[in-house]
Amino acid sequence: MIEVKNLLKIFEGRGQVVRAVDDVSTQVAKGEVVVVIGPSGSGKSTFLRCLNGLEEFDDGQVIIDGIDIASSATNLNAVRREVGMVFQHFNLFPHKTVLENVTLAQRVVRKRKAAEAKDKAMALLTKVGIAEKANEYPSRLSGGQQQRVAIARALAMDPKVMLFDEPTSALDPEMVGEVLDVMKQLAREGMTMAVVTHEMGFAREVAQRVLFMDVGKVLEDAPPAEFFTAPKEPRAQAFLKQVL
Amino acid sequence: MSLKRRSAQWPWHGLLVVILLGLAIGLWMATKQVNYEWRWERVPQYFAYHDEVAQTAPFTGRIVKVHPDGAYSQVEMIPDAGGSRAIITVETDTLRVADGAQVTEDQEIGVTRHWRVGPLTEGLWVTIWISFASGFIGLIIGLVTGLCRISKNPALRGLAVLYIELIRGTPLLVQIFIFYFFIGTVLNLDRTVAGIGALSLFVGAYTAEIIRAGIQSIPKGQTEAARSLGMSTAETMIHIVLPQAFKRVLPPLAGQFISLIKDSSLVSVIAITDLTKSGREIITSSFATFEIWFTVALLYLLITSVLSQLLFWLERRFARSD
Repeated sequence: MIEVKNLLKIFEGRGQVVRAVDDVSTQVAKGEVVVVIGPSGSGKSTFLRCLNGLEEFDDGQVIIDGIDIASSATNLNAVRREVGMVFQHFNLFPHKTVLENVTLAQRVVRKRKAAEAKDKAMALLTKVGIAEKANEYPSRLSGGQQQRVAIARALAMDPKVMLFDEPTSALDPEMVGEVLDVMKQLAREGMTMAVVTHEMGFAREVAQRVLFMDVGKVLEDAPPAEFFTAPKEPRAQAFLKQVL
Repeated sequence: MSLKRRSAQWPWHGLLVVILLGLAIGLWMATKQVNYEWRWERVPQYFAYHDEVAQTAPFTGRIVKVHPDGAYSQVEMIPDAGGSRAIITVETDTLRVADGAQVTEDQEIGVTRHWRVGPLTEGLWVTIWISFASGFIGLIIGLVTGLCRISKNPALRGLAVLYIELIRGTPLLVQIFIFYFFIGTVLNLDRTVAGIGALSLFVGAYTAEIIRAGIQSIPKGQTEAARSLGMSTAETMIHIVLPQAFKRVLPPLAGQFISLIKDSSLVSVIAITDLTKSGREIITSSFATFEIWFTVALLYLLITSVLSQLLFWLERRFARSD
């Protein structure tokens, strides 16, 4: 579903050159859940943002469902329709109600009729357990509720892949669970997911594979059972010692 | 015991009243010093006045009968040369003829009175519509220029920067002269068009900077969220960024527009009869210099404060989603 070949992303600024994603190659199969973990600044968020072209990478290839997103013949907007993304800071549209947040892109991008978009939105809001807030503005919602709306907003486009960029990092501890529950449900339903997170429990329980990144490189790629019990890389061992 | 201390406020209110009274007395003394005679009663006629139109006999003839009818009278007359009768309507209290009188052609029979709009009202209207027209055009110019200013295209960006710098670096008065005497002559423009054009270009440059700042103040995450859903750059701007930016720039935009109304007084230099020019013209005939200038100032204050109330209300409406 996702194929990444020799991905390179360089940030330049103030005389410094940072290789945020340094020659990464990997793939995510259909229905697979891959969790990316690593210390901050390791390039895991940048890597994820390259997957839907939010970061313009410098070299390499990202192929989503057979389409090379960097090719000049590719309509990037058309690819992004199929790739949902959930952000650390939710990024809900504050001037739109919850319902409008979920219907807007359906209307504008998918050209769905108002009634159809609304039905779809209500079904998804019910699924993430927040249908009763449909007519509230996002500022009235707690962080956990906002993040569930953001998930519903991404799902409304019927994506083939979902990317999660630290979806629980900005949440109060007691709200992490409700968001993770929604994500677990999605995984059970067979959604292809790439998740950057610090939730080791989620990785252990849901992921088929864990990618450990540091200084822009994927140092380890293993099933969670193997990674959490017997990490091979010394850097991964040190990291797990700190977080577990 | 609360930490919040409530000091008495009334001495300060008292002081305020004393200061204002002092200023008023000072003003009054100052006008006494220069022997200025206030004639406020002359001012209202410049807003609206009762105009008298003389009604004259259409031909030489004889008054057959005057039919009084309340405030108006119908005067029936018949021509000496023969032919059909004529009826002339005049105000009863100005009637100058009686039954059977002989009148010659063009002789005044009486007058009718009509309310006419005075020059101050006309000037006020010109100021309002010139300001709104150039405010509207300026907003469009500002929106386009603001978008060009943050465009990735160097040509668009360069043009926008050049335009903004040229306008912001020169006085409006000079711009009006250039627009009227140079561009106006080359393109053969009417003075009103030239005035509106100069004001629009002026306000457009400032609006562009306000809009640019507004767009850039919207967090990057908003654009990223919209793009990640598959929206194009234009769709993202229209549905996500501009509505939020507009809400943020409303207060500075309102300030700019209020400035525009005041700056519009400068178009009086190219002989557009706006509020300021009307005031100047009235003074040459009435000699009520102080009264007229105070009235003109009050009228500007009236428009600007009505507008700020309106925008305050609009702002509160937009604050619904906060």
